[in-house]
Amino acid sequence: MTIPPLRAFRITPRDPKSAELPASHLGQALTAEGFLDTDGDLHIHGRVFGRVCADRLVLGSGGYLEGDVVARDVQIGGRLSGRIFALNVTLDSSADVTGRIFHHEVTIAKGARVDARMPWRPPSYFESLTQLPEPRP
Amino acid sequence: MSMFNRNDKVNDTNTGTNAGTNPGMNTGETARLPEISPVPAPPAAKPAQPVAQPVSNIAAPRNIGVSVISKALKITGQLESTEDIRIDGEVEGDVRAVSVTVGSGAKVKGTVYGNAVELSGTIDGKIEAEKVVLTSTAHMTGDVIHRDLRIESGAYIAGNCRPEFGKNEDRAAHSASKPTLTGLATKSSDPSAIRA
Repeated sequence: MTIPPLRAFRITPRDPKSAELPASHLGQALTAEGFLDTDGDLHIHGRVFGRVCADRLVLGSGGYLEGDVVARDVQIGGRLSGRIFALNVTLDSSADVTGRIFHHEVTIAKGARVDARMPWRPPSYFESLTQLPEPRP
Repeated sequence: MSMFNRNDKVNDTNTGTNAGTNPGMNTGETARLPEISPVPAPPAAKPAQPVAQPVSNIAAPRNIGVSVISKALKITGQLESTEDIRIDGEVEGDVRAVSVTVGSGAKVKGTVYGNAVELSGTIDGKIEAEKVVLTSTAHMTGDVIHRDLRIESGAYIAGNCRPEFGKNEDRAAHSASKPTLTGLATKSSDPSAIRA
């Protein structure tokens, strides 16, 4: 399977017109494997193994995601094992994150379990993100 | 600052369940409150909890029901669900679910397995399902293995339609009543699959 190229990173919020894009919703019973790319919102309540690119990603409290996330906004309420590349990251109290969080702004709720490095990056870093860096130990 | 607002709110709620409204709010709303007592609580509480908002968003049990792959989403890889899937976007890979609905404008490149498959969009690959419906906007390239097939006028189909779903195969027949995904996965023509 060929790896699809990284979706162009959007720093500015979507214009109202494209905000009408219906959100995608992966339910509890769903397991997805591979590459997920969307310009809109993505809600994950099931399990996903692979790379996720979205404008806004919400990982629900029952969700599990293993892999890299590239998005403008990321909200984590479930378990994530992998890397996040996002301007705004919100970790809810039910979050359980292992990996790396490349962010510009991060919010962590009390109770969140975070085993991760959290490197800060300027917005220009995300803008020029055309290829994910190799994972380092 | 929001914390102080919230404290005020708590004091207010002592007077009644729906009394989250600030005293400063217009009297027209308070007059309306008693008829719709369970409803107005969230709008009244909203200004006070901008911080707590994201948390409660996620905690809401919206995670039941069908999965929706909206038209903006492209998935390269497999999808598997023990519930229903609705696809309006693009999937490159196999899809397995109890019931799969491929909306008009959607594209699937791969095999779709399920108990029921309704196609209004495009599938380039194969359908293996007990009940298959091709609507008038369906575009099917590839074989359809089914037990019960409905094709509406206007549907495009290039491939074989074979009523062989679950035939010569214990596991597939079993899966017709109970949707085990592994049962659906086995091919009827492949004897090695049965052995496994």
